[in-house]
Amino acid sequence: MVFNSYTFIVFFIAILILHNLPFSWKVKKINLLLASYIFYAAWNPPFILLLWLATVVDYFVGRALYTQPNKYKRKLLLVVSLCGNLGMLCFFKYGGFLLDNFVQLVNTFGINYHPAKPNIILPAGISFYTFTTLCYTIDMYKRKSEPVKSILDFSLFVTFFPHLVAGPIVRPPQLVPQFETPHKATQKQLLQGLFLVSLGLFMKVVLADSMLSSPANTVFNSQDHLATLDAWMGVLAFSGQIFCDFAGYSTCAVGVASCLGFVLPDNFLYPYAAIGFSDFWRRWHITLSAWLRDYLYIPLGGNRKGKFRTYINLMITMLLGGLWHGANWTFVVWGALHGFYLWLEKLVQDYRKPRLKPGVEIIPQPALATQGFMAPRFLKKVQSTNFLLALLTFFMINVTWVFFRAPDFTSAWRMLTSMFSSVKNGTPLLPTLTIIKVSVIIVGIIIFHWFMRNTRVLLVANKMPWWLLGLIWSAMLLLLILSQESSSSFIYFQF
Amino acid sequence: MSASNFKKAGILTLVLVITSLSSWELYLRNKGYFISYDDGEALWSDKRGKVYQPFDQTTTFIGSSRIKFDLDIPTWEKITGENSVQLSMEGNSPRPVLTDLANDPNFKGKLIVDVTEGLFFSSSPGYNNQAGKNIAFYKKFTPSERASVKIDYLLESRFVFLDKNFFSLNALLQELPVHDRPGIYGGPDFPWNFNRNTFDRQSYMSNRFVTDTNLQNKVKNIWYNMGRAIREKPPTGALLDSILLSVKTDCDKIKARGGQVIFVRTPSSGPFIAGEKMGFPREKYWNMLLAVTNCPGIHFEDYPAIAHFQCPEFSHLKPTDAVLFTRNFINILQEKGWIFPNKTMYSIHSFSKNSDHGF
Repeated sequence: MVFNSYTFIVFFIAILILHNLPFSWKVKKINLLLASYIFYAAWNPPFILLLWLATVVDYFVGRALYTQPNKYKRKLLLVVSLCGNLGMLCFFKYGGFLLDNFVQLVNTFGINYHPAKPNIILPAGISFYTFTTLCYTIDMYKRKSEPVKSILDFSLFVTFFPHLVAGPIVRPPQLVPQFETPHKATQKQLLQGLFLVSLGLFMKVVLADSMLSSPANTVFNSQDHLATLDAWMGVLAFSGQIFCDFAGYSTCAVGVASCLGFVLPDNFLYPYAAIGFSDFWRRWHITLSAWLRDYLYIPLGGNRKGKFRTYINLMITMLLGGLWHGANWTFVVWGALHGFYLWLEKLVQDYRKPRLKPGVEIIPQPALATQGFMAPRFLKKVQSTNFLLALLTFFMINVTWVFFRAPDFTSAWRMLTSMFSSVKNGTPLLPTLTIIKVSVIIVGIIIFHWFMRNTRVLLVANKMPWWLLGLIWSAMLLLLILSQESSSSFIYFQF
Repeated sequence: MSASNFKKAGILTLVLVITSLSSWELYLRNKGYFISYDDGEALWSDKRGKVYQPFDQTTTFIGSSRIKFDLDIPTWEKITGENSVQLSMEGNSPRPVLTDLANDPNFKGKLIVDVTEGLFFSSSPGYNNQAGKNIAFYKKFTPSERASVKIDYLLESRFVFLDKNFFSLNALLQELPVHDRPGIYGGPDFPWNFNRNTFDRQSYMSNRFVTDTNLQNKVKNIWYNMGRAIREKPPTGALLDSILLSVKTDCDKIKARGGQVIFVRTPSSGPFIAGEKMGFPREKYWNMLLAVTNCPGIHFEDYPAIAHFQCPEFSHLKPTDAVLFTRNFINILQEKGWIFPNKTMYSIHSFSKNSDHGF
C-alpha cells in the first residue's frame, strides 16, 4: 500500500479510530501489528512470509546473542543472522545481477553458458527492513542495548507500517521504548502529523509525480543526443523528483507515526542547501548514512587507522551505499562519484589544516561516531557567501544523478555529452511550459532549502500566525486534490 | 504555536478546501460539464482481470479507439446477456494485448479484435507504448491498487472536477498561452466533448459534439495534421509477413485452448477511409490477415446494415449510431456462427424497453 492512494486514506482512518478506542495497550499494539501486515500484504501477500521469517529469526538470535556467554557461539550466531538477512537480500535483490555478471565473465573466457533469466520479484522494502533487523542483531552482539522483551514489541519494531517499506531506517532504542508504554497522540501531535502528511503528499504527488516525473522520464528515456537545455532540464527535474519523492515519503511516515503518538527520526534536512558533500550526506537519507557510518565505516576502521585507510574506508562505504540502492553498475558508479567527491573535500580539508594561522582557535574534530562523515571546518560557519558553495555542491550532485537515473552507461554518457558539450542539431524535446515548470520548482526548492537549512518545518509552522499556516496548508491540499495523480509507487520502493 | 492555534489553522484549511472545491464543482456543472472516468492504467487493469469470466458469459474486445466508440456496451449486454470486457486503447495497436492474452494460459474466452490498419500494422513504439505500460501495470496490479479503483469509482462518479484529462493541475496549466519552441509538438488538443469515458471504458461523444460542426472540424483537423505527420510507411514484404505470422501465432494459441477469435473492421468515412484504402489496400492487408490467421472477419463494407454510417469526424460513430451498429453487429456475429447462449427473448424485450443508454 502506498501513502498516496485512496486505499491508504481509508486504511489510515480505520487505524486512527481503532487506536483511539479504549482498548488495552497490548490490544492496540496487536491492532497496529495486524494493520502493518495488511499494509504490507496489500502489495504482494506471499512476501509477508519473508517478513515473518526475518522477524522470528532475528528476535530469537538477538536474545541468544545477548545472553550467550560463549564467545565462539556468539560469533556463530552472528554469522547465522548476517547470512540469513544478507542472503535473503542478495537472492532477491542481487540474484539476477550476480548471475548476469557471472555469465558475462564466463563468456569472456570462451565458455558458452546461457542460463534462463531468473524471474525474481523484489519484495518491497526488503533493503529497509533487512537493515532494521541487522542493526538489532549487531547491537545485541555488541551488547549495546538490551534485547527487546517481547516478540510483539520486536515484530512491531520491524513491521510498524509508517517506516516499513521505505524508512526512515530506525534503530531499536529509537522505537522499541515507545512500544513499552501506552502512546496516543495529543491533539497537537495529531494536527502536526496531519500537516506533515499533507506536506509529504504535496511533495510526492504535486511536485514529484505531477510536475517533475514526466520531463525526467522523457529526457532519460530518449535515445537521441539532446539539446543542452533539455538535457539539463531532465537532470534537474530528476533531481527535484527524487528529493520530493523520497523526502515526501519520509515526511508522510513521520506524520503518520505522529498521528498515532509515535516519533520517528528525520530522514532529510534540506539536502540541496548542503555546503559540501559530507554536509550533503548529513542531510540526505540521514538514517541510511548513519547506518552505513555505524555498521560499515566505523567497523572498517573509520578514520582511526591513518589517512590512507580513511580514504579507502570512505570509498568502500560509498560503493556499497551505491550498490544498496540498486543492482546495477550505474549505482556503483554513482556511489564511487560521491566517494570521489568526499575524497576531494577531505583533501582540501587536510591541505588547509596546517595553513591555519597561529592563534586561530582549533575546534576539536567532531568524532565520526557522533557527527557522520566529516565536514571541512572551513565550511562549518555558514555565511551568505556560502550560498555559492551550496550551489556548486548542488551542481555536482546533479552530475551524480545522471548515473543514478540512467538505465545504462551508454545513456549516462549520452546525457553527460548533451549536458557538457554543444551537441550539433541536438534534439529539442521538452515543451516551453515544462521548462518553465521545472525551472520554477527547482529554483523554489533551492531557495526553500537555503532558508530552512538550520531549522525544521514544524518549528517554522509553530511560529507562523494560524491564518498563514491555514492558507499554506489549504493551498497544498487543493493542489494535491487537483493534481489527480494517485497510486504511483515511490522511487525508493524499488531499493 | 499552541495546540489551539494549530487547531484554528486546521479548521481554516478544512473550510477553504471544502469551499473552493464545492465552488469549482458547481462552476463546472453550471458550464455543462459532466462525469467522465479516468481511462488510465488502473482502470484498464481492472477490466483486464475480468477476461477470465466463463466462456458463455463474457466477450473481450481489443483494438484501438474505434471499437471503444462503436460498441455500445449497455446494448451489447442487454441483447446478448453477456458481459463485455473492453481492453481497446486509443491510438494504440491491439497486437501487444493480443500477445498478452495469447500467452496467458488462463484466457480461453471469446475475443473480438478491432482492426484500424494504420495502428494495427504499425511497428512504431509510439503506437504500442500505452499498451506496454498497461500490460506491465496489470502484471503488478496489487490488491491495494484494485481497492483504489473501487474507491476511485465512488469519487469520480460524483465529482466532475476529477476529470484528469481536462481539470487536473497539469491540464489546467496546459491552457496557459505559452508558445512552444520550434520543433516541439505538444500533442493533439482534442475538445472536451469529443471523448467521454464510462467506467466500462466505453468512449462516447457528447450531444454538443454531435451537433456542433465546429468541434467536429477541430477533430477532423487533428486527424489531417496527424496524417501529414506520419513518417512510417505501411509495412510490406518480410516485415508484413512477420507481423501476420506473429498475429497468427497468437490466434492459434488462443484457439488451441478452446478460445474464439474474430476480426472486425469498424466504420470510418469521408477522406479518412479514402486515405486508409490508399495506404492499406484491403486485399493486401485485411484479406491477408484473415487468410494467414484463418480467423473469421467482419468488414463493415460487406454488410449493408453497418455500411451506411457517417462518422461525425470521419473516424468514430456517434452514440445513437453505436447502438444501431452494436445491434446489427450482434446479428452478423450470429450469422458467422457465434453463439450467445444467454441471448433470450427477455433480453431483447428488456433492451427495447431500456434502450436509453444514459448519454
